Amino acid sequence: MPIFYLVKRVGVFLLIVWLAATVNFFLPRLGGENPVAQKIMQQAALGGNLHVGMQGMIKEYEEKFGLTKPLWRQYLTYLADMARFDFNYSIASYPRRVSNMILEGLPWTIALLSVTTVLSFIIGNVLGAFQAWPGAPRWLMLFMPPLLAMSAVPFFLLGLMLVYVVGFTMQLLPLYGGYTSGAIPQWSLSFALDVLRHAILPSLAIILGQLGGWALGMRAMMVTTQGEDYVTFAEAKGLKDGTIFVHYGIRNAMLPQATALALMLGQLISGAVLVEIVFGYPGVGTLLFEGIKGSDYFLVQGIVFIVILGIGLATLILDLIYPLLDPRIISRSV
Amino acid sequence: MTAPAAGEDHERAGRSQGINSGAMRAVTGYLRRNSSLLVGLALLFGLIAFAVIGGLFVDPQNARPLSTRPLQPPSWALPFGSDRQGRNLFAVITSGTLLTLRVGLIAGGLGVTIGAALAFVSAYYGGWVDTVLRSIVDVGLTVPNLMVLIVVALMLRQGMTVDVMALVIASLAWLYPARTIRSQVLTLRERAYVEIARLSGVSGPGIIVKEILPNLLPYLMASLVGSVSAAILASIGLDVLGLGVFEAPTLGMTLYWVNFTGAVINGWWWWWLAPIIVVGIIFIGLFLISVGLDEVANPRLRRQV
Amino acid sequence: MENQSWGSGATRRDFIKYSALLASGLALPISLIRVSEAIAAGEIKDVPRNRTLVTVRDGGTDGKFIEHELWSPYVIGSNPQLGGNIIYEPLAFYSAFADKEILWLAEGYSYSPDYKELTVKTRSGITWSDGKPFSAEDVAYSLNTLNELGAKVKWGKDVQEVLDSATAVNANTTLLKFKLPAPRFFNHMLSYKYDIGLHIVPKHIFEGQDWQKFAAFDLEKGYPVTTGPWKVVNVSPTQKVLDRRDSWWGVKAGVAKLPEVERIVLLPDTGEQQLAQGLITNAVDFSTGLQVNTFPTVFKGNSNITTFTGRELPYGNVDWWPTSLYLNCERAPFDNPKFRWAMSYLIDRQTLIDVGWGGSSSLSPLPMPDGSVYKGLQPYFDAAKPLLEKYPTNEFNPGKGAKLLAELGWKKDSSGMYLDASGKPFTLEIISFFDFPSVGPVLVELLRRQGMNATYGQPPDMFDRYFAGNFNGVIFGHGGSVSDPYATLRLYQSSSEAIPGGHLVNLSRWKNAEYDKIVDEVYVTPPSDTTKMKDLWLKAMAIWLPELPDVQLMQFYHRLPMNLTYWKGYPTKDDPYVNPAFFHATYALVLHRLQATT
Repeated sequence: MPIFYLVKRVGVFLLIVWLAATVNFFLPRLGGENPVAQKIMQQAALGGNLHVGMQGMIKEYEEKFGLTKPLWRQYLTYLADMARFDFNYSIASYPRRVSNMILEGLPWTIALLSVTTVLSFIIGNVLGAFQAWPGAPRWLMLFMPPLLAMSAVPFFLLGLMLVYVVGFTMQLLPLYGGYTSGAIPQWSLSFALDVLRHAILPSLAIILGQLGGWALGMRAMMVTTQGEDYVTFAEAKGLKDGTIFVHYGIRNAMLPQATALALMLGQLISGAVLVEIVFGYPGVGTLLFEGIKGSDYFLVQGIVFIVILGIGLATLILDLIYPLLDPRIISRSV
Repeated sequence: MTAPAAGEDHERAGRSQGINSGAMRAVTGYLRRNSSLLVGLALLFGLIAFAVIGGLFVDPQNARPLSTRPLQPPSWALPFGSDRQGRNLFAVITSGTLLTLRVGLIAGGLGVTIGAALAFVSAYYGGWVDTVLRSIVDVGLTVPNLMVLIVVALMLRQGMTVDVMALVIASLAWLYPARTIRSQVLTLRERAYVEIARLSGVSGPGIIVKEILPNLLPYLMASLVGSVSAAILASIGLDVLGLGVFEAPTLGMTLYWVNFTGAVINGWWWWWLAPIIVVGIIFIGLFLISVGLDEVANPRLRRQV
Repeated sequence: MENQSWGSGATRRDFIKYSALLASGLALPISLIRVSEAIAAGEIKDVPRNRTLVTVRDGGTDGKFIEHELWSPYVIGSNPQLGGNIIYEPLAFYSAFADKEILWLAEGYSYSPDYKELTVKTRSGITWSDGKPFSAEDVAYSLNTLNELGAKVKWGKDVQEVLDSATAVNANTTLLKFKLPAPRFFNHMLSYKYDIGLHIVPKHIFEGQDWQKFAAFDLEKGYPVTTGPWKVVNVSPTQKVLDRRDSWWGVKAGVAKLPEVERIVLLPDTGEQQLAQGLITNAVDFSTGLQVNTFPTVFKGNSNITTFTGRELPYGNVDWWPTSLYLNCERAPFDNPKFRWAMSYLIDRQTLIDVGWGGSSSLSPLPMPDGSVYKGLQPYFDAAKPLLEKYPTNEFNPGKGAKLLAELGWKKDSSGMYLDASGKPFTLEIISFFDFPSVGPVLVELLRRQGMNATYGQPPDMFDRYFAGNFNGVIFGHGGSVSDPYATLRLYQSSSEAIPGGHLVNLSRWKNAEYDKIVDEVYVTPPSDTTKMKDLWLKAMAIWLPELPDVQLMQFYHRLPMNLTYWKGYPTKDDPYVNPAFFHATYALVLHRLQATT
């Protein structure tokens, strides 16, 4: 692939990451909340007692976190830190380091979100593809609309409903948490099963909630594809229906769907917050939410930067792979 | 050539009988065949009708606390019962439905309008305008929107009202439509008829308005529906997290109270059932409309469902 | 969420496969790290359910702990309510309900006649959890370091204001010298009551560490090292597990028996539904407060659930934290006492209690908790009665309120809502936190019905605004007196001459120089001198009452559900040996009293 294209794409990637990182820096500070004061006062208030040193403590810690330095200096320090992946200390949980806090929650969030996104992507697209195929079995067609309808409802509401129906009424599955309270995490089969049991309801909520979108999109793409000349040609050639469906239909319809998947990544984290709150899941979502509420600059910066990097990388990889598969892209965009 | 919407055929045929009756027949005829669109519209309009008419039977002031005895199950006097602070839930749901829909419409509508305008400019003119806009949109879509919403809410301190919240959501809602509409315009820009128009000397904006816009209309409608849906979701999300306007009896705030008081486990079913059903109807209705519009835009889909 | 796939371009399904692999690949090694840490913590015993006490407390953050690795009481993020209170032991406990002081690490103490010196005698035979002996050196070290660090750590300034030096005279005697007479130092700072009390830390562990950063947490090394009968065994954002340490010193010293509880599990609060569910299914023994209307559901679901007042209203005990509507005395129109009194007259507190708290609260005439329960305060309430009749802080009298507002030039517009003195519409913005959505909107509605427009909200930066004085109205409580009025009086002091450099926490931002002087005098008056105390108290009230710096609302109750399935012996109305809250510093007293039912 032409060097110019490669350079341009990497350049765009770096630009986006830098811009997003800048927004990431300024946004929490725009709210005007003083995170140190908020934390110290909140601590004191929850304990019902207000110790007289609070004023002094606030000043002390503001200096410690470098919050009294001029804004441009804080910005430059921030950029340097991000470049080295040094996420600093959390303001609200000092002296815990942001990276430790993130590592604690990350496995839960990644496990939950990646599995459910992949599952809903696959199931949704398959269902959507079948919708567009005249040869699809009758029973599948009947069971599509209610499934799609369910996905229209925001998935944290679905979550609340699932919790009530399955959790309370039927007492089948646990209501909240990553694992049974009191169980100590160990590398054992019983603990792993426990984690799985606790993951069923949140996963179900997310999968059901996202299915419909994928199915619809896939259906539309399939239909467009089916109308294309090369499919007509394949039919004329006498290829089997199934072969056409998979190799000509799905393969080409999947392409834009995968683009959408990469774009979805940004939405996932926001969505994760709501799911984790409804289900009490100990992931990065609630960490981010608390950080935003308390304007814990360093925690928020750390998490969001990782998200930005992830999305940027995903888009970059996509951009680099496209031309390998569809040479028209390069000529059109350059 | 893009396939003309079936309605257009009927419309041309009906012109001899007067445009209005022909158009009407075209629309109803089409609706009968596009069941998703029909059901979706029916659901939404049914809900709005319920809210408006129901609202006539109850004083909207009763959506405030202390209007009636708390925690009453539904009865003739209180069709939806009352909540723990004495709000008449029938008043709450009827006014809340309209409030929530209004937020969705304002935010979603503004979002698509701004997004479409920027998308057209960006896609049609290309060059550095396009690059700048694309970068802004990409950055905007990358940063988690929850963060932006909360920060803006913080900045606003006093004076947060439902309409202000709608504007806040709108400030983010234009990003996604901008990106997707831009892709569509890019596709259409290459079509033959646009090429012809350009060659025959029609100006840039002229082409946008006369050639591209009409063909994009169903897509824009679908985009609007999606945008409204997302805006309502955002407003409900903010409300449920406790960041909404406490005095506004929106559906989201009702869900917040349901969550805060543990209404589900306490067996106050009338409190949580109504808002969930209404929210369900709203989202399913919007969803079906969007499915229906998909078919309008892409007539080949009409064989299915 | 909306999802439309009209993108351009092409890629492979391999991309998806690849990213999924990447994700799961990342997750595995990370989870392995966490788990092996847990195992390295030592033998994780298998403790049966009927020897485990499961408690739920608001971690301060939606359903998760974030400070689970902070076990030093002095890092800013640590929260003693979540475990720190039971592992660090105090010199003495004070039970406000019984009005009793229970000596613990200390054996006795005495002040010099001028109250400028305090001698504390600690018991012999106390050992830290790593076997090293506890001595007066630890006490002196803790106090001196606090004195040195001042504002750098919690409570540092409070100590710095008063303490001159602390020396370990011998292994069991500590001599404290004060800068000014401090007759309340032992009771206020050195004993645990409610949430106040200094934690004594081991010198041999903390010496040389940066107190601001040292988390005192390392399960392999056995940190945190404390004298208490509990050791931290496992922590994560979703739970904290503490096991009983049978080598606890107190058994031999005869202070108390070993608790019957062998394991304590502390969980974060994930919501009202989960709390109720946990209690009904016996997954939880003792939890953070439920809302009033949830109790009937829980009672119905589990016959073993009870509260401090059994199964009757108010389902709990009066807490030390009476609540008010604070109005920012530095801003107009709140700077005028007439306005504040008008607001007080406009509020129908009984309805507020009935609808807001489901009938489970009581009136509070002064910012001190109910004297019938906090017996040390009753004489002061009695003494203030004549003044209260003249200045009825709990009276609901819209007529009087309207009259006062009229005197200030406020008029009602055509829709019946008040316009301020300059004719502009006025809205009282009220903010709060925690459980107050139960009450806030009801208060707003009550005010609106009297013509005073108001709103309620819970902004995320509420505490920052409150503390910085950037608010109009706040619903909040008073963390003040439990046995003697000084602590409450001090809450309204705006500056102090007696305590040079003394910073005060005057949330209402009310200022009165004469009042300040009186409080300064109270500071140096020992609580035992009741005649002088009452005299000063009345003088202070004579200034405070006509001013009414904040509008009194009602008492604050702790409605904590207790599960009798596995444990009994919780404090109740019939046996109120101490305030029940497991997040209070006095919780150890409860732990030593709980008995297993099976």
